[in-house]
Amino acid sequence: MLYFAELSGKQVVNGGKTVGSLWDLLFLATGQPLVTKMNIRTQDGMISVPLAGISLTERAITLPQVYAATVVSNNELSVREHLLDQQIIDIKGNKVVRVNDVAIQEKPYPVVAGVDVGVLGIARWMGVEQFVNSVLARIGKNAKGNFLSWENIQPVELSRGKVMLKQEETKLTKLPPEDLADHLERLSVRNLTKILDLLPSEYEADVVQNLNVSHQKNLFRTIKPRHAAQILSLIDHDEAADILLSLPLRKREAIIKLLSEESRTSVSYLMSVSTTDIGNAMTNEYFQADPEETAGNVRRRIKARTESFSSFSYVYVVNKRSELTGVFDLHELILQDMDTRVYRFMTPNVIAASLTTPVSLALKKMAKYKIHTLPVTDEKRHILGVVMMEDLVESIQEKLV
Amino acid sequence: MTHALRHWKHRILIALTVIGPGIITAFADNDAAGVATYSISAATFGYKILIIIIPMIIVLGVTQEIGARLAIVAQKGLGDLIRERMGIRIAIAMYTLLFLVNMAIVIQNIGGIKEALLLFGISPIILPLIVGGLFLLVVSTRYRTIERFFFLLILFYSAYILSAWQAQPDWGAALRALIVPQGQYDRNFLFTSIAVIGATVTAWGQFFISSYAKDKRLTMEHLTYNRLEVYLGAFLTNAFSFFLMVAVSATLFVNGITITGASDAATAMVPFAGALAGILFGAGLLTAGLLGCIIVPLTTAYAFSEFFGYSGSLDEDFQKSRLFYTTLLIQLALGTCIVLLPGVSLFNITLAANFANGMILPVLFYFLYRFANNERIMGEHKNTPMQNWLLLLSGACITAGSLVVLIQQVQSLL
Repeated sequence: MLYFAELSGKQVVNGGKTVGSLWDLLFLATGQPLVTKMNIRTQDGMISVPLAGISLTERAITLPQVYAATVVSNNELSVREHLLDQQIIDIKGNKVVRVNDVAIQEKPYPVVAGVDVGVLGIARWMGVEQFVNSVLARIGKNAKGNFLSWENIQPVELSRGKVMLKQEETKLTKLPPEDLADHLERLSVRNLTKILDLLPSEYEADVVQNLNVSHQKNLFRTIKPRHAAQILSLIDHDEAADILLSLPLRKREAIIKLLSEESRTSVSYLMSVSTTDIGNAMTNEYFQADPEETAGNVRRRIKARTESFSSFSYVYVVNKRSELTGVFDLHELILQDMDTRVYRFMTPNVIAASLTTPVSLALKKMAKYKIHTLPVTDEKRHILGVVMMEDLVESIQEKLV
Repeated sequence: MTHALRHWKHRILIALTVIGPGIITAFADNDAAGVATYSISAATFGYKILIIIIPMIIVLGVTQEIGARLAIVAQKGLGDLIRERMGIRIAIAMYTLLFLVNMAIVIQNIGGIKEALLLFGISPIILPLIVGGLFLLVVSTRYRTIERFFFLLILFYSAYILSAWQAQPDWGAALRALIVPQGQYDRNFLFTSIAVIGATVTAWGQFFISSYAKDKRLTMEHLTYNRLEVYLGAFLTNAFSFFLMVAVSATLFVNGITITGASDAATAMVPFAGALAGILFGAGLLTAGLLGCIIVPLTTAYAFSEFFGYSGSLDEDFQKSRLFYTTLLIQLALGTCIVLLPGVSLFNITLAANFANGMILPVLFYFLYRFANNERIMGEHKNTPMQNWLLLLSGACITAGSLVVLIQQVQSLL
């Protein structure tokens, strides 16, 4: 990925002689914003040259031996005039932020990948990006920018002189991470890493979690252990365990060392049980209650402790010896008076699986009893974790692929 | 007949809608620093200095009209246009200078409030309460209420009329001095005249009028009336300056009293025009300080929001316009702390402000010239040749004025 701030003013040469310097890039305002031409500032004025076959990544941009200046088409827009420094508005016309830099993806062919709306975009233009990065690194912070993908911009409005978002959101971080992940899966790992570097940490973790397995694997093989640990500490532990298991042993250990103690314990445990299919699909995001506890107390604890859960439907009841003795769902909990004890309304016969239960059997149990989460227990009926229907289906899909 | 009546009613309503940006910006230009400059110049030259009132009306009117017209036609503030048309590097340099200049002017205005409080025998310890109250007023109310508050403050400027009345001046001589040159003009007079114009037309005033007109959501329908309102503002504010200068001339100049600031003027005129004149003059200074204390930091807040492209409006709450209100708060808090610090020289701060203002103004007038003549921005409303000449002349005058003030201050230091 290249930034326009890095390209602007770059020397353009032909046959060893300087032709001029790059002033602007022209692109098509379509779903795939192909960069078609570059405007070169020469001694005799501005010329437009088609970009086909020209690499922008070299120290100086080299034109082919024979090149011809061409005219700008009506459907071509200018990065400098139509994108850079422009105000971004949402569909209601509210001001969102301004474009500080424009990101160009150079392979397989140059396209406008999106815009940088963060402070780092400004620092890049002022030539102090590295300085800002090093200062932040010294105080233990990671420089984070804000990247807005092309997918979120309305091309039609752009040609009318407005940079308008497709959404109504006023905060870029509220853009669905799934959408950005889908877009990023089309990029090379290098470009993917560059974009992720621009995102706020939690949003970055959400996007990584939504990437497909092969992209996740390639990404974590490339990035530094500290960065990897930072992402993994923010995503679901079962997902983190899966990613770690796909990495070479040395890298895996380096990352695990950098995780917080809580994350390390949880992820290590999930990795240890992942030798079976059920263990591999298992997560330790579950909530348990005491049979003597009141419904009101359970509700309060749920509110305080399950905020980070990606999915939550059942409360498992364990006795003093940590044995699974009952279960109830959230609907049943809501129907109870606040002072009703758990043992009065729980279902004592809990359907469970063990680590060695075949995935197909676990799915059959879920279908038969109309439940979508199954607790996994050991021989003493201690809960090891839970498996969700979608994770089991995904594990079957992966096998089929 | 009914149709004609309805037509006039519609026109009057539109005319009333546009009232605000021109008058408020023009009056805010007569802030505490402005009052000090007028007072000193009138105490030094008497009625003779009144000859600059009419040129001041023209210069202020021409420059402010272009700023407001840009905002209405382009639907963008001057800050937006600088960022979009001149690029990020130039914009950063401009905004940095603007912040420094405005910060110094905020300090001058808070200093003006402090001087006025001392005149009335009130301890400046309540200064944080006054400034905090002003901030809360801006945050907790919306555009219309704040605008009404501005107009309420402007009403207090009439204290200068009463003050002038109390001074019992020679009204005939004062009015004659507006158009008929009085006596010989030396180099010092010329320098002072330009400095007074430079104190009235400011860089922040150009930013403020465009952002404020945009925030008021003025449209093309309001363009003609806005032009009239801007010139009316330039006329009214200079009319009040006239009364201020008359009050000082009739008391201090006539009796050969020299002063170094606005509060000096209020104290020194008491023996000649009575305690009431002094009180009224002090009330005028307090009003000027309060108005400048809100409007100048608001200018920075508007400009920063426009630079980053964030929402920034008096009609929005703190949550939606966070950067806008935070910028306002930082300037007010910093300004109050500096003014309350013992041993801080407001003179050095004024010197720095004038220096930075002198650096910004030529560049700003160049931008105004470029934008107002750009057909893609202005369409059929671009500058006429006459407006261009007046703008260039005003620009040259004001730039020279700022430099003159600076040279004078540096000379006085040596």
